[in-house]
Amino acid sequence: MIGFVLFGIFVILMLIGTPIGVAMGLAAVISIALANLDTMWFGLLAVPQNFYASLGKYPLLALPMFILVGTIFDRSGVASRLVNLAIAVLGRGPGVLPVVAIIVAMLLGGISGSGPATAAAVGGVMIVAMSRAGYPKPFSASVIGASAAIDILIPPSIALIIYSILVPGASVPAMFAAGMLPGILFGLALMVPAFFLSRRHGMGEAEAHLSKPPFWASLREASWGLTAPVLILGGMRAGLFTPTEAAVVAVFYGLFVGMVIYRTIRIKDLFSILRDSAELSAIVLIIVALAGVFAYSLSTLSLIDPITKAIVGSGLGEYGVLVLILILLVGVGMVLDGVSIFLIFVPLLIPVAMFYEWDLVWFGVILTMMVAIGQFTPPIAVNLMVACRIANVRIEDTTRWVLWMLLAACFVLLILVVFPEIATWLPSVLGY
Amino acid sequence: MSKPHSPDSEIKTESAPDATRVPLAIEDYLSAGIMALLALITFANVLVRYFSNQSFAWTEEISVFLMIVLALVAGSGAFARARHIRIEYFLQRCTISKQKQLNELTTLLGVLMFAILVVLSARLVWDDIQFQETSPGIGVPQWWYSIWLPAIATAITLRLFGLWLRSRRQK
Repeated sequence: MIGFVLFGIFVILMLIGTPIGVAMGLAAVISIALANLDTMWFGLLAVPQNFYASLGKYPLLALPMFILVGTIFDRSGVASRLVNLAIAVLGRGPGVLPVVAIIVAMLLGGISGSGPATAAAVGGVMIVAMSRAGYPKPFSASVIGASAAIDILIPPSIALIIYSILVPGASVPAMFAAGMLPGILFGLALMVPAFFLSRRHGMGEAEAHLSKPPFWASLREASWGLTAPVLILGGMRAGLFTPTEAAVVAVFYGLFVGMVIYRTIRIKDLFSILRDSAELSAIVLIIVALAGVFAYSLSTLSLIDPITKAIVGSGLGEYGVLVLILILLVGVGMVLDGVSIFLIFVPLLIPVAMFYEWDLVWFGVILTMMVAIGQFTPPIAVNLMVACRIANVRIEDTTRWVLWMLLAACFVLLILVVFPEIATWLPSVLGY
Repeated sequence: MSKPHSPDSEIKTESAPDATRVPLAIEDYLSAGIMALLALITFANVLVRYFSNQSFAWTEEISVFLMIVLALVAGSGAFARARHIRIEYFLQRCTISKQKQLNELTTLLGVLMFAILVVLSARLVWDDIQFQETSPGIGVPQWWYSIWLPAIATAITLRLFGLWLRSRRQK
C-alpha cells in the first residue's frame, strides 16, 4: 500500500515538472512518515541522515572533479584541434567529415564525462564545417547528437561513477575499464550509417575540394589534447592515481594547456569555469542526496523484495526479463536524464540482476548503453537537443537520419548482450 | 552527466524570473571558491603522497565536507535560477497560465521539502551538540560539520520562496 503511495506521489510530482530530487525526497518523506506513524518524529530523522550519508562518500568526489575537467577542456579549444588532426589523417571526400565528428566525440569522451557537454563542444566546431562541405544540417545534428552519447560509455564517465557508487563490487576503475571497448564499438557502429548515408544521398560532395590541414602541424597542436585521456586512464591503470586524483591532475593539466599552450582560457574565464562546473555538480549531487533518502525508504519499507519477486516470478525467463528491462529503460531514457535513471532504477534492478547471476559490471555497461541510446532518441533527447539548437533545426527533422544511428546502437547492444565478454574482458585482464 | 550546461543555461536564463533581491553573486562566488579549494586540496594530496610517501588522508574528511557544502551552496543558486533537472516535456504542452500555476506549485513543493530538511537536520545537530559527538577523522566536534546542513537548507528554502514570490508578482 505504502509502496503505491511512494511511487504514485513520485511519478505525479515528476510529471508536473517538480525538480527530480524534490520529487524523490517528498515521496520518500511522506511514505516514511506513513509507515512510522507511532514512532518519535515519525522516523523522519533518517531523512537528513541519509541525505548527508549519500553525499559523504570520498569516491563521489570524482564527480565534481571530472565535471571540472570536462568544463575546462570544452573551453580550451581542444575540439577544433582534434578535428584538424582527424581530417589530416583521413583526408577529404564525401562521408569523411561525419566520421571525423564521431572520432572527435570519442576522443573528447576520453576527457569529459558528460554527453551534452560533448555535443556542445563537437557541434560548435563541426556543424559549420559540415554545412560548408554540403551536409544538410539535420544530418549533421543527428551524427553529433548520436556520437556525443558515446561519451558516457568511454571513461571517464559520470554515469559510470554514479553506478559504481550505487553498486558495491563494481569499482570505478572496473566500470571505466568495462565501458572502454563497448564505447569504441559503439563509435565504429555509428560510422557505418554516417558514412554510407552520406555516400548514398550524395552529401558532402563539396568536401573533396576543401583544403587538407598539414599533418605534422595538426598532430603537434592536437597532441596536447590527446595526452589528456592517456594521463587520466594511464595514470589510473599504472596505479599512480585514484579516479579522483586522476581527475584533479587532468584539471591542472587542462588549465596548463588552455592557459599556457593554446591561450584560449584567460584568468577571468576561471571564475565562470569554476562557477559553471560547481552548478552542474550541485545539480547532480542534490539528486544523489535526495535519491539516497528515496532508496532508504525503498529498503526500509521492504519494497524491493516484493518487486524482485514479482519480476522474477513473472514467468518471462531470464532473457524475457532482460528485454523487458531494456524496453522500460529506453522509454524512461527518453524523458529522464541518465543520473536520475540510475538513482531510481539501480536499487530496484540490482536484486533482479543478482538473482539471475548477471555480472554486475556488465549489467552496468548495459544500463549505461541504454541511457546513451535514450540521449538521442526523439522526441526528448538531451544530446540531440543540444546539437539541434546549435544547428538551428527542429528535432523532428532529424528523425529520418537518427533512426539509422539508433539501429546501429541497438545492434551494438545486441552484441553486448550476446557477448558479455566485450565489457568484462578488459576489467578482468587489468585485474580489477 | 546528462544535462547540456552552457548552451542550456543560456536558454534557461531568458525564461528565469527577474533579478533576486539578495544577489546570487553570494552563491556564485562561494561555489567557485569551494570548487577551487576542492581541486587544490585534492591536488596537494597527490603531490604530498607522491613526493613524500606521507599520507595526507585526514584531508579526506574536509574534502567530503566541502563537497557537501558545494552541493548545497551551488544547489541554492541553481534553485533560485530554476535550473534543477526536471521533466519539462508535459509542462510545455500546457497553456501558459497552467504552466505558471504548475511552476508555482512545484516551487512551493521545493519550499516544503527543504523546510522539512531544515527542521529535521537541526534536530540532528542538537543531538551532536548534546552528546558531544566528534568527527571520525580529525576528531573535531561533529556539529562544526553538521550545522551547515540546516543553515544552507534554510538558504535554499528562502531562495525557493523568493522564486515563488517573484512568479506571483509577474502578471
